[in-house]
Amino acid sequence: MKYLIALSMVLHLTTGAAQAAEKKLTISVYAFAQDAFKKVLYDPFEKICGCDLVIETGNSVERMAKIEANAAKPVVDMAVMSSHDALALARKGLLQSLDVSKIPSHADLYKSAQNPIGDNMAVGYGFYATSIVYRSDLVQIDSWADLLSDKVKGRVALPNITGTQGPLALHMLSKALGHEGMDFTKTIDAIGDKKDDIVTFYGRSSQLAQLMLQEEVIAAPVGRFAWSRFSGAALPFKWAEPKEGQTGGMNVMLMTKGNGNEELAYQFMDYWLSNEVQTRIAVMKLDSPANSTVVVSPEIAESLTYGAELINSLSMLDSGAIIDNRDAWVERWNEKVLN
Amino acid sequence: MFQNRNEGLALALPAAVFTALLFLLPVGILLSEPFQVDGQWSIQGYIDFAFKPLNQVVFLRTLKLGFLVAFTSAIIGYACAFCIINLDGKHRGRVFGMVMLPLMISPVARTYAWIVILGRTGIVNDTIIGLGLSDTPIRLLFTETAVFLGLLQLFLPLMIISLVSSMENLPKDAVSAARVLGANWFQVFMRIILPLTKDGLVLGGTLVFTGSLTAYITPAVLGGSKVLMLETLLYQRVNVANDFVSAGIIATILILMSFGANILLKRVAGTRS
Amino acid sequence: MTSTWISRMIIFITLTFLIGPFFIIVAAGLSAGDFLAFPPKGLSLKWYIKVFEVESFRESFALSMFLAVFGTITALVLGVPAAYALSRYNIPYGETIKTVVAAPIIVPGIIVGLALLRYLVVPLNLTITLALFLAHTALVLPYAVRVVSSSLNNLRSDMEEAAVLLGCSRIGAFIRVVLPNIQSGVLAAFILGFVTSFNQVPVSLFLSGPGVRTLPIDMLSYMEITYDPSVAALSALLALMSVIIIFVAEKFLGFSRYV
Repeated sequence: MKYLIALSMVLHLTTGAAQAAEKKLTISVYAFAQDAFKKVLYDPFEKICGCDLVIETGNSVERMAKIEANAAKPVVDMAVMSSHDALALARKGLLQSLDVSKIPSHADLYKSAQNPIGDNMAVGYGFYATSIVYRSDLVQIDSWADLLSDKVKGRVALPNITGTQGPLALHMLSKALGHEGMDFTKTIDAIGDKKDDIVTFYGRSSQLAQLMLQEEVIAAPVGRFAWSRFSGAALPFKWAEPKEGQTGGMNVMLMTKGNGNEELAYQFMDYWLSNEVQTRIAVMKLDSPANSTVVVSPEIAESLTYGAELINSLSMLDSGAIIDNRDAWVERWNEKVLN
Repeated sequence: MFQNRNEGLALALPAAVFTALLFLLPVGILLSEPFQVDGQWSIQGYIDFAFKPLNQVVFLRTLKLGFLVAFTSAIIGYACAFCIINLDGKHRGRVFGMVMLPLMISPVARTYAWIVILGRTGIVNDTIIGLGLSDTPIRLLFTETAVFLGLLQLFLPLMIISLVSSMENLPKDAVSAARVLGANWFQVFMRIILPLTKDGLVLGGTLVFTGSLTAYITPAVLGGSKVLMLETLLYQRVNVANDFVSAGIIATILILMSFGANILLKRVAGTRS
Repeated sequence: MTSTWISRMIIFITLTFLIGPFFIIVAAGLSAGDFLAFPPKGLSLKWYIKVFEVESFRESFALSMFLAVFGTITALVLGVPAAYALSRYNIPYGETIKTVVAAPIIVPGIIVGLALLRYLVVPLNLTITLALFLAHTALVLPYAVRVVSSSLNNLRSDMEEAAVLLGCSRIGAFIRVVLPNIQSGVLAAFILGFVTSFNQVPVSLFLSGPGVRTLPIDMLSYMEITYDPSVAALSALLALMSVIIIFVAEKFLGFSRYV
């Protein structure tokens, strides 16, 4: 009996090597809705390619740290990230340039999704808009500047500067307050002045959802991907259409350099970007399609960031600008807001 | 005591070597990075760190909360431990198990329970409004108070366990004898209980203080980014700029603080290790 | 007697503070609604049922159990001799060894995670499971040594010496005399180690890899994205499991006598 236990232990510990034999693709993705993705993307693909998909999830920081740590011998073949995280990885030389001839669906994508960070290092697969969610029974939001106004004093939350939504909110606030320049200094100072009126700087949209449902917060900027949590809730929430417009971002796919599994990775990327799969994903309201040939009913489109008009109207932040300026933003933020 | 020292050494070595190789070595390498500026050894990184006002605020806040939690848990811990000691065996076991229970609940879940309790529509505010102490809900979340409560709940069991352990060997009659002879509770505590339970206090105090310094989930969720502690600041440095240099500096400071606290407590209690 | 009443009150209030959240979690998990709230809006078992249906929870639970059980056992195998040596012998570098072994408790998890990933796992090309196993063992070892030492310190050494004098071998004396008397200490160390390993988050976060995750990590990422009461249900079930373990341990070994 003891022998069996010891043996199983040894086997368990060393099986890592044994698995290399079968056809396998390792991907690194957001933890969001994995059950649903399994149904519409992973399982169908596994049938088509006759291979095994190994999924790594987690937040972007850890996933990026792991890609960097394993650079010499990549564990992950293909990953999805926000566009500026992808740019950061590209600048570190961790990605390989994509051969778009191997991705037939590429031609169907919106122009802005085809080469979002340059050198074909990544390709967009989903858009999202970012605006303000608010309690329509308690307040009316018409401008990004309303976030700092007395209307929502003591009941408003902003995204933390360290997350993806942080810089986007700063960008729009700057527009609303009439401050120019990518350094956002005056805007950050303005937030610093009002910091006691702000409940918290949230990290995850799920945390914000809990706060809003608990009535701690009545207005906050958030990405459209979190909207389903609010639209179906018992309390009345609305998605603002501020006069300065909405902002947003794009999530992209990338491939690690020298992973040795490029064939399979290209096949997967093309499948994910195909009209068929993008439509399925859109219908299940998981992501907003980057494939411009996808058509959905108006009802579904309502929950997504859909349509050329909307996508082109989003006031997005350039990824390079984010990377170049982020340290300075955080520095100032720490000084004026958190102090 | 057994005489063959080398035999003893051989018994203890596997554990020590295991920890040294698999743990201390990698961590040591990582922590040495901040000391190397442009290929040279220097403490410039530390100096730069110490001069930033945010870092100072965070450092003092962490220290303050660490002490407050340790101090409060010591008071409550002693009261509770004393009461537990006076219970009979069966009840003692049960109460003990219940004290250990919070340690079994995942820290993630525990903290979210606090969010629900301390929220505007939570129990605490309901009680406050119900008792007429305030007209509108008080903001409790994302304040130092919330972090304090969360940390206290997290570490109080450790203090209680340590104190009960050491109180077990208190001569049962010593306390009643002293009371009969006219000592008040304060004197009983200072002259009898405290000296005899020093070990427990040192162990408990170290565990609680160290724990409070290095707790992550509780301050992160209950304090958010408005109430930064050293550990959450560390995570912020890592998350934003991949700034492992600052992170390494903070980690080293935390380690030094823990060591310092342990040594200080031992001095104050005058114990041998 | 009033002091008994006061005594009971103190314990009651403290316990309410400590365990109150547990009941809230159990109740929140019974909510029929879609998000965490207390008091729960309506009652339903659906979230508790959902816990068993999520496949990744099952897998990560198995991994966490494996790590907790075998990691703690290994830590005890390494730690008990060390504790014995530290308390019975006056070994050279005794203080240093004590500090070295206790070190893992003090270092912040995220630093440990990253350091191990960068300087141990990648250079040596370890499998993820092995890396997690080694890390968890190292993290539990300090508790094993400390708790068992405490127990050994309370055990007088003359019994062993007497046994040896009467003809027993050293190892025999250890097995026959020492082990039975530190049973509760070892058990307490096992439970403490098990819980530490099972709930460990920061280090596991960095060392986890594709398809290999411990339960708390799984719960965290699930919670960050989904935020429905199933996490409360899962936490309640896990706590219940631990309670049962303690209860059984108390019944069989009465370890309240030890601590």
